[in-house]
Amino acid sequence: MIEVKAVEKSFGRKKILKGLSFTANKGEITCIIGINGVGKTTILNAIMSLTPINKGQILIDGQPVTKHTFEKITFIPDAITMLPQMTIAEAMEFMKDFYTCWNQERATELLGFFRLNLSDRISSLSKGNTAKVNLLLGLALDVDYVLMDEPFSGIDMFSREEIANVFTSHLIENRGVIITTHEVGDIEHLIDKVVLLEDGKVIKEFSAEEKRETEGKSVIDVMREVYQR
Amino acid sequence: MRKYWKFTAIFAVIVLSIGTFYVNSARSAEQYPEFEIQTVSGDAKEVKPVVLEGAYTNTSSMNYVSTNVKISAKGSAYNSRSFLDQIVGQSPTLIKEFQKKYHTFMRGKNSMVNSFFEDQQFLVYADVENKVSSLLSHDFTFQLSVLNKEDDSISSFKVKVPEAGELDHIFVEDVQLMGDEIILITQNTMRENDTFYDEKHIYTIERGNHKITSHEAIIQVPQGQLDTRIDVELVRTSPAKANDHLIMVKTERKVMEDPDGDAMTEEVIHQEILSYDLQTKEKETINLPDLQLDENQLSFYDGAVIYFMTIEGQELVVTPYSLADNQAGQVYRIPLSGEEGIAHGQMTTVKGGKLYVASSQMSPGLKIDADVIVADAQTGKTLFKGKLAVKDASEQPENFEVYLNEIVVK
Amino acid sequence: MKNYLKLVNFEFNRIAKLFAVLLGITLVVQLTGVMVISKGYLNMANEKIYEEMMTKAQFLEDFGRMSFIQIVKSVWFMGPIALCIAGVAFYIFLIWYRDWVGKNTFIYRLLMLPTARLNVFYAKMTSILLMTFGLVAFQLILLPIENAVMKGMVPDEFRVDMGVIQIVNSVPELALIIPNSIVELILYYGAGLMVVAILFTAILMERSFRWKGIFAGLLFSALAIVVLIAPLLLQAFVLNSFFYPIELLGIEIVIGLIVLAASIWMSGFLLRKKITV
Repeated sequence: MIEVKAVEKSFGRKKILKGLSFTANKGEITCIIGINGVGKTTILNAIMSLTPINKGQILIDGQPVTKHTFEKITFIPDAITMLPQMTIAEAMEFMKDFYTCWNQERATELLGFFRLNLSDRISSLSKGNTAKVNLLLGLALDVDYVLMDEPFSGIDMFSREEIANVFTSHLIENRGVIITTHEVGDIEHLIDKVVLLEDGKVIKEFSAEEKRETEGKSVIDVMREVYQR
Repeated sequence: MRKYWKFTAIFAVIVLSIGTFYVNSARSAEQYPEFEIQTVSGDAKEVKPVVLEGAYTNTSSMNYVSTNVKISAKGSAYNSRSFLDQIVGQSPTLIKEFQKKYHTFMRGKNSMVNSFFEDQQFLVYADVENKVSSLLSHDFTFQLSVLNKEDDSISSFKVKVPEAGELDHIFVEDVQLMGDEIILITQNTMRENDTFYDEKHIYTIERGNHKITSHEAIIQVPQGQLDTRIDVELVRTSPAKANDHLIMVKTERKVMEDPDGDAMTEEVIHQEILSYDLQTKEKETINLPDLQLDENQLSFYDGAVIYFMTIEGQELVVTPYSLADNQAGQVYRIPLSGEEGIAHGQMTTVKGGKLYVASSQMSPGLKIDADVIVADAQTGKTLFKGKLAVKDASEQPENFEVYLNEIVVK
Repeated sequence: MKNYLKLVNFEFNRIAKLFAVLLGITLVVQLTGVMVISKGYLNMANEKIYEEMMTKAQFLEDFGRMSFIQIVKSVWFMGPIALCIAGVAFYIFLIWYRDWVGKNTFIYRLLMLPTARLNVFYAKMTSILLMTFGLVAFQLILLPIENAVMKGMVPDEFRVDMGVIQIVNSVPELALIIPNSIVELILYYGAGLMVVAILFTAILMERSFRWKGIFAGLLFSALAIVVLIAPLLLQAFVLNSFFYPIELLGIEIVIGLIVLAASIWMSGFLLRKKITV
């Protein structure tokens, strides 16, 4: 379980996260929703120790983040994290070299699934393909938790469909996934838990399925309710 | 493993290239020739205690770096030019000995032999500290340190230089210990309004209570006229020994501009030799009308006899003068090697009744030989004559020079 | 350790192109210099001897023989060296900043590796060292080659032959990069290593705190300088040359090591706790 406890973070004078708390469980897809600038990317960066927090605590399976945690959790940010002049093959080679949890079979599977070419240079890829490579490099690791920052932003419709398919496949099974997005539409049916952010805090945390069954509301309905206030 | 080739390649190249260079560098430390003092005539035993110190330069390459060398009768020893040795620095032999024997005492002391005095029981050091407090006034303080060799105790103290109002500059020329009194002989520059003049001054400091018991000017050097120059020099003595007297040479020279070029020539107008008794504080003139000493500090006083020395043509002219008898002995001449009737620079010292003379330069390219001569100090009879030479003539480099600056008799 | 080596290899491979370019420029410019200067000397000799009718002996007395040292002291030789030094200095900053700039921020990848983040620091430091020593090693290889070229061009009587070791020992400017002994090599480059560590720390401060970081970085550097000069200042002004020179050297070495350790510690702290993408 990923636990975010009362996290506060400021950039200079501006306080972005004002006491953020939520949890994400293994085997669930948690979606963090909020408008642009509310701090979604920031909290993901903070979980991965890519930016410091001013107050609060972040625990992964009860432990704070160390170098060993990076074999348990992976982060797929908005932009690609490999050198632009690398080919896809070289990028995969790099991951294989440094991560013991790299799963070559799964990587090959994803290659075929996304119809990517090993010898293509990353700099030459379209936005959609770049996102797919990003996803590949993250998902081919046998980690317990996958964090994705806006996996669908700026992607064409067909690529979006492909990526959404990954979520239903065995590639996501049993893992804890956190996605951030400001557009819920495409993946509403995939989400297990929703965390709504406003003004640096969590204003509502709920299970999508529960809301659907007990109250007959979709995620978007709840969002409209909450954000209208 | 093939993607590691760049890294391993460069690593290998670095280790091999730099490693080879330094291994070779260490192995082929510059080949220095072995020097010795070759006997030309006389008894080689006489030159055994002599050590000549100087610097050797191989001038065949365009490399003007010199290496310090010590040459004795048996052979030569070069100062290793390793980095660590360079950090340690070059000091006169005597200072190095003191640093070895009295490591703690020698901390923070300057490297001038004249600042020290040593006898059986004590090692004394004196220096002057100059604190400039404002544009016109200075604060001069004597810094003294006495090491008691018997119990290794060190006593360091400061004494303000008295009556320093008109003092512009002061430095310590000699230090002596007589009984319980430390005697400092200094060269002072006094300022009177806008004129400056020099004087030799003596300060007596009580070793026990650290107070200056007396001080006075031994001799004043008036500022010369526009075209004359006057200076007073102390005759050299054995640095660490105590003497009852100070011997001074006061010379007045006329400075003239060479009508042909811009060179200045000097002519000695007047010379006076004085002896100063450190106990009675009395001055006496030594009358030697025929004697004219040039600027080279060749004369030597061994505590009993003053050996006035000067070079005339290709000879060293020595006038021994017994202070006790107040009389000059027989003047004698020692022939030196030279070219066209002119001898080159020499170094002299007297020890144990013997006079040691050595040339200060050896330049085979300029045909300058370096003599080494030992003679009886009183009669001038040559006991040994030799010259500096490379032991193995075949090893002799094409062109080299040796400049000597110290002659030490062990 | 294995991760460190993998990172070094990775970082060095990224430097390889710049490194090769610097090597190439050095080779071409220096060799050209050897030939230009040798030819220049020969031309002058020819002019004096055949046109102005000077005898060979007279020419040699007036102008001297050609020695490799003339080449070493020329811009043809020193220029590429200066360029390489500038290149390394530039890369000390680039090696960090290139991972933050542009759309593909590789720094994410480096910080998320399942290895101590200090290994990233060590790897970048090692790469700089490899590049520096690589350039020195290359120069040592070039020297005998260049010497041979000069020998080939200038006839015996007109030149003074010197071995590489002699050449290096005779030119003080060269002694800065190729010191005379291995002790000096370790001391000079050890000091250089410390300087790179301090610069890296300052860079990481900037990357952690942005504008305040630049200030902090400058402060850190200033502090390091003060700590390093302190014994020298004390020796001169307070203690009246209390220490023997060799003791002072020992003290400076110890302080240098302390500053190096402090920089490494600080960098590690920043990478783990304060760095931000």
